[in-house]
Amino acid sequence: MNDNREEGVVVTRNVWKIFGSRADEAMEAVRRDNLSKAEVLEQFGAVVGVKDVSISVGEGEIFCIMGLSGSGKSTLVRHINRLIEPTGGDILINGANVGQLNAEELRAMRADKIGMVFQNMALLPHRTVRDNVALSLELRNVDAYTRAQVADRVIELVSLQGYGDRLPSELSGGMQQRVGLARAMAADPDILLMDEPFSALDPLIRRVLQDEFLDLSKSMNKTTLFITHDLDEAIRMGNRIAIMKDGEIVQVGTPEDIVTKPADDYVADFVAGISKLKLLYAHTVMEPLEAYEQRKGPIPQAEAPVAEPDDDLDKLIALSVNQDHPVLIKSDGNVVGVVSKDAILHGVQGEA
Amino acid sequence: MTDTTPDQMGGAPAAATDETKPFVEFADKSGGYFAETFLSIQKAKLPATHVNWMAAIAGFPWAALRANKMLFWIGFLIDLVAAVYLMQVWKFSRAAEQAVIDNKDFLVERFENWTTSSLWAAVIIFILGRVIFGWLADRLYFRQYNTWRVDHSKPSGWDMKRLVWATLIVAMIAPLMLYRASQFPPEERTCIKQARSIAAGEEVAFKDQFDCMIIGEFPTIVWLERRDTVTYPRDDNGDRFVRREAPREGLPPVNLNSYTAQLIDDGIGYLTAFYGFFFDGITTFLRSMLSAITAVFVGTPWIIAMGAIMAISYTMAGARITIFVAASLCYLALFGFWQTAMDTMSLVVAASIICIVFGLPLGIWVGKSKRGQAIITPILDIMQTIPSFVYLLPAVAFFSIGKPPGILATVIFAMPPMVRLTALGIRHVPENTKEAALAFGANPRQLLMKVELPQALPSIMAGVNQVVMMALSMVVVAALIGAGGMGFIVTEALANTRTGAGILAGIGIALLAMMIDRVVQKANTVKH
Repeated sequence: MNDNREEGVVVTRNVWKIFGSRADEAMEAVRRDNLSKAEVLEQFGAVVGVKDVSISVGEGEIFCIMGLSGSGKSTLVRHINRLIEPTGGDILINGANVGQLNAEELRAMRADKIGMVFQNMALLPHRTVRDNVALSLELRNVDAYTRAQVADRVIELVSLQGYGDRLPSELSGGMQQRVGLARAMAADPDILLMDEPFSALDPLIRRVLQDEFLDLSKSMNKTTLFITHDLDEAIRMGNRIAIMKDGEIVQVGTPEDIVTKPADDYVADFVAGISKLKLLYAHTVMEPLEAYEQRKGPIPQAEAPVAEPDDDLDKLIALSVNQDHPVLIKSDGNVVGVVSKDAILHGVQGEA
Repeated sequence: MTDTTPDQMGGAPAAATDETKPFVEFADKSGGYFAETFLSIQKAKLPATHVNWMAAIAGFPWAALRANKMLFWIGFLIDLVAAVYLMQVWKFSRAAEQAVIDNKDFLVERFENWTTSSLWAAVIIFILGRVIFGWLADRLYFRQYNTWRVDHSKPSGWDMKRLVWATLIVAMIAPLMLYRASQFPPEERTCIKQARSIAAGEEVAFKDQFDCMIIGEFPTIVWLERRDTVTYPRDDNGDRFVRREAPREGLPPVNLNSYTAQLIDDGIGYLTAFYGFFFDGITTFLRSMLSAITAVFVGTPWIIAMGAIMAISYTMAGARITIFVAASLCYLALFGFWQTAMDTMSLVVAASIICIVFGLPLGIWVGKSKRGQAIITPILDIMQTIPSFVYLLPAVAFFSIGKPPGILATVIFAMPPMVRLTALGIRHVPENTKEAALAFGANPRQLLMKVELPQALPSIMAGVNQVVMMALSMVVVAALIGAGGMGFIVTEALANTRTGAGILAGIGIALLAMMIDRVVQKANTVKH
């Protein structure tokens, strides 16, 4: 069991989900004959929702799962609190197998350990904001006084102080989703499951909420699985990103990995439209000083602008504007490389 | 185009332009005429008085040749009805001659009147019908063209072979219909006598046998031996026992209806004789519940009751509706309906409480379980289709007459909307809120109490409103079995043709219903 703990807080091992009345038969056939999705549909009339997914999310990490609609990302995340039962494979939370919990243990785990935020908020329309936020506590039979105390504290955390006695319908979409977030955090769970939480909001509000969530998440150190169909959002939010397509995970990596080394054409297509300004760093685009000087002659080091190896493209561009010389990259006072304007332009295009 | 060649007169199809080509192809014979007509229909320029006179003269065979079923049946029906009236002319004039011979003057006059009116009917129906037929002909034929355009396998054109089918249909229907119109049907009693004499081996004329089989009532096919008469007297210890008596010798057999009716009677008799304590228990329960409610409604002095009702309506539905309520209460009081109205109200409240107490859990079950829905929905359908009067019968059979059976019949009548609307409300709770509650660790009971029922509440309240309304209407009907109240005044007025009293009570009932409805509905909308 201890080995599992080291793997990560949330671990899925070869999770499969096949929908249909003959799902189990289909699962066996897939294991035996390694059938494709289309073959499963044809032979068993069953749809493969999640295909052999193994991920491991570490403590405090924000793990983004990105994919288009129908790629199985929402299905996958619902396996973690067992809103959906896997057809095959295991889900471990802190090393404990979720599939082996009985009904009461499962409810306790959902209430205490896992908070969930939904795309459509899914607030209870007949309850005030405070009662919505305190839902998970109420379901665990916490007394009303404690509930109100906790709820008010969390409401303040999402900057909704003063709205505790309103009904959800009186709030704007962005505020409603803050309530959703507060509800997920009220029981102080270790794990947050965010199912496209900001997708239904307009771009400005979305950005504000993203920033707020990042701040909160830094201070509260929650393990987060963040579902999105927006690569920009995934890159902003995620420590790591998993890209899903047709129920399968195509690539897992840091945002920079994904942008600079897309695993296949599908990912490359996605990445093509992404701004690299904040994703590429000087150490990726720079070349050795000697190589540069061989081609272009020596650089007057006193006049050239200077940057650090982990400054991003954005900064390099700012330094290069109105400048005849390339940017020198110095680490601890020593020149470690040079970034020419050509290198910056290539970087903007994504050709590091 | 000036080609007005009538249909059937034939002639080569007119030179087909691109525009009219499909029309000509469809109509085949008289293509030119139909091309022109259809074109003007498409341009919405067909005169309202346009009639296809050839179709009107030819009648339903025209429709048969053109394979238009709808027109065929319309045309056939027109001619058939006209022919039936003609046959009646013949029947009544013969009857009139017979009456002259029998010297029954009043019959002569009656039959002669009937003869004339039948003749007129035949002529008018035939002429008017044919004109309508001609008016419909091209319009319906254009519809047939439209379906044919979509699917060319649909019949088109003109084909003599279709007349064979038409003849067959006419031959199957017309002779019997006309024969039936020309004969006075035999009485049922005559036919029963005839059946017995045939059973006894006597000769009966073929015509009489045929008449009994085909015209008049459906012939009695099943004859059954009479059942034993069953009674449930008490023995010396006071316990009931079953006593059977064979029917008297020589009594004729009975038909299916009488046999089954007696079977049901025996069953009900058995149940009431041996399980009477069960029905008595229910009656006692209902009576004590009702007397508690009546104590509130009737026992409260009118001035306090009135004030209370108005106060309730004000807090629940606001000032405007309270004015209406006050006016209605004044009407009831001024016309001397106060006590009776309160009596009715207690019945309604008692029945509604029972409906809600049983309907709500049932509705939840139906809303949440596929099996519950499969079992209960057909029962509810039947409960709502059966006329309300029919409920009174079993209520009386098991619970005799009075208020308790009245309440029971009312409960059965008024329960379905409660179950349906509760189930509807439960089913319409958004999936995502249920999912959210589950994700936060709700157990099934918490899911129901904290998520599903609160969100289903508007629908449930609509159900309660329906229950109260239906209970009120049924309580009035239940006066027929002695439930009393406002309904009693109406039924009594009906029996003694005291129209004025009945109308006043009727208005009182309507006001009562409107009061409850407005207050409950308004209370619902204010909350949501």
